[in-house]
Amino acid sequence: MTNVWKYIRSWESFLCLVLILTISVNAVNSDAFLSIDNQVNLFTLSIEKVIIALIMAFIIINAEIDLSVASMMGLAACALGWLVDSGASMPTALAMCLLIGMLGGLFNGFWVTFMNLPSLVVTLAMLIGFRGLARVLVEDRSIRVFPSWFEELGQQPILGPLPLAVIIFFLLLILAVVVLRFTGFGRYVYVIGINKDMARYSGINVTAVKLILFALSGLISALAGILFAARLGSVRGDMGLGFELDIITMVLLGGVSIFGGSGSIYGVILSILIVLYLRNGMSLSNITGHLQTGVIGMLLIFSAMVPNLKNYWESLRASRS
Amino acid sequence: MMKKFLAVATAAMMVSSGILMAHTVAKKGMKADLVLMPKFLGILVFDQANQGAQEAHKELQNPGKLEFLGPTPENSVAGQIEILTTATTQGQDGIMISNNAGDQLAPAAKSARNKGMTVVTWDSPIPSAEGEQLFIAQVDFNETGTVMADMAMNIMGNAGGDFAVLSASPDAANQNAWIAAMKEALKAPKYSSLNLVDVVYGDDQSEKSYNQALALVDKYPNLKLIMAPTTVGIAAAAKAMQDEGLCDQVKTSGLGLPAEMVSYTMNDCAPEFALWSFVDLGYLSYYATYLIATGQMEGIPGETFKAGRMGYYNVEKDPTRAEGLRVLMGPFTVYDKSNVEAASN
Repeated sequence: MTNVWKYIRSWESFLCLVLILTISVNAVNSDAFLSIDNQVNLFTLSIEKVIIALIMAFIIINAEIDLSVASMMGLAACALGWLVDSGASMPTALAMCLLIGMLGGLFNGFWVTFMNLPSLVVTLAMLIGFRGLARVLVEDRSIRVFPSWFEELGQQPILGPLPLAVIIFFLLLILAVVVLRFTGFGRYVYVIGINKDMARYSGINVTAVKLILFALSGLISALAGILFAARLGSVRGDMGLGFELDIITMVLLGGVSIFGGSGSIYGVILSILIVLYLRNGMSLSNITGHLQTGVIGMLLIFSAMVPNLKNYWESLRASRS
Repeated sequence: MMKKFLAVATAAMMVSSGILMAHTVAKKGMKADLVLMPKFLGILVFDQANQGAQEAHKELQNPGKLEFLGPTPENSVAGQIEILTTATTQGQDGIMISNNAGDQLAPAAKSARNKGMTVVTWDSPIPSAEGEQLFIAQVDFNETGTVMADMAMNIMGNAGGDFAVLSASPDAANQNAWIAAMKEALKAPKYSSLNLVDVVYGDDQSEKSYNQALALVDKYPNLKLIMAPTTVGIAAAAKAMQDEGLCDQVKTSGLGLPAEMVSYTMNDCAPEFALWSFVDLGYLSYYATYLIATGQMEGIPGETFKAGRMGYYNVEKDPTRAEGLRVLMGPFTVYDKSNVEAASN
């Protein structure tokens, strides 16, 4: 009985409520909302962000942050364009870009683990660094050199109505749930997030876990960058500019604590759905621009406030009794 | 014989006048839901374009809706793609885009076209023209060069002298095309007394442009004019000259907004500047889009249509791009003391 009550009062069930509310309002407001086209589109339009949000959840649960993800997206996309433009074959270029992603992630991880620098500082520097490199590669032009099969992969549905990027997202989602919930590695991610030193004394290889997470973050960001390039058909130095904020917003709204150690992929997927549906609903009702950004911002403030209010309320009750 | 000749001539005249008469005059009251999308929201010239489009919308008594939807500046590229895709989902009949996403907008534009939507660009086209039916071009880029050279000549007089260009960023395509066109125009003998000494960049930021203008004055003691082909740069330069009390020595000119320039023109800091009307650009874009979306026009080269109060326009091949069609609006309006106050309201 107490378990059920606890579940009902959990953050996830609160998100469920918000999600159901959002969907209902959208469905009433617009006939087009429930169409399959729109459902696929609203995913496709933000698919690169939500793919990265999955690995970002791991990083934040681990009590770190990676601000360089969107810049890595841009770098991987630009490197792809630059390589193909310089005559590299498509498979070579794709492999190179994924390698760049992983090495970039390892580079972040190196400074965080071996040099003990805060990830906020390291990845902020690489947010600038990767973006700078991307801009150096393509300068201020757009490169449009991709073969048609690559663009079709990014734009055409390949399984039912689903394009490749959406399928990749769902596969990664399942993988993320399994790893975080049912493997030792997943438990290490939480334990290190709660207390790094305690984890180290318990014999967990903290350095290895963090290095793997940052390498994966770079790799998946590069993958997202490649998918972005395929969807848009050309690359520019400003691709994905500012996406890191949206990605982190989704993860925090999902109930992952910014201080690490708690949160779940379920919460993150719920918050992803809320953000996407809210955005889509507002767009269908012709609410765009700053008003849309404002509403999402309010949601984040609200989501940060509710748990704090709850804690405050509980501590107040505890002190009285 | 003579009779036969006359008959042929008459027939020829009828045919030719028939061709001349084959322009589309809009049938009013047909329904089309349209969207006007600027590069991003919060920019005066785009609001003016919306004003023009709204005017045409009322005039044509379109029972459909005209929405003005745009992204935020930080999210311009992704935002434009999202708005275009959503408009397709909503089943809008047409969209008018000032493209800020380069060719990255092309896939979304193509799928909009596949769903039967009319896609017209204005102010800034899709470079590859993929997915775009028509580009409503504000002015001819070559004309921009001549207009700037003429203004420099008018301001500096026949004695001529040194002048410099204050541009936006070094890689803004339209800016560079205009500066190149001006350099080309300056080769003509009548401008031989004009001496272009430098091109500097203020990145379309007020403060940086302001400082660059002052740096120019320090660097070139004989400078007589700063020519800024950007609305941000020209206002910043004029303010810098006014603040430093330099307006008697160094004038400012270029492309500017009457509302932002009126005080500088009246106090002679910027005696002459030019711009096209964004209200008209919005108005013309609306007419072209309405005609195509309601099936009254196809949008193919050689077509002529009447755009209400603005008169007749042609659809032609765009000479500035490999592919693509354009409707050229033009011309420039040159503003000075005689007309700037009226235009600034």
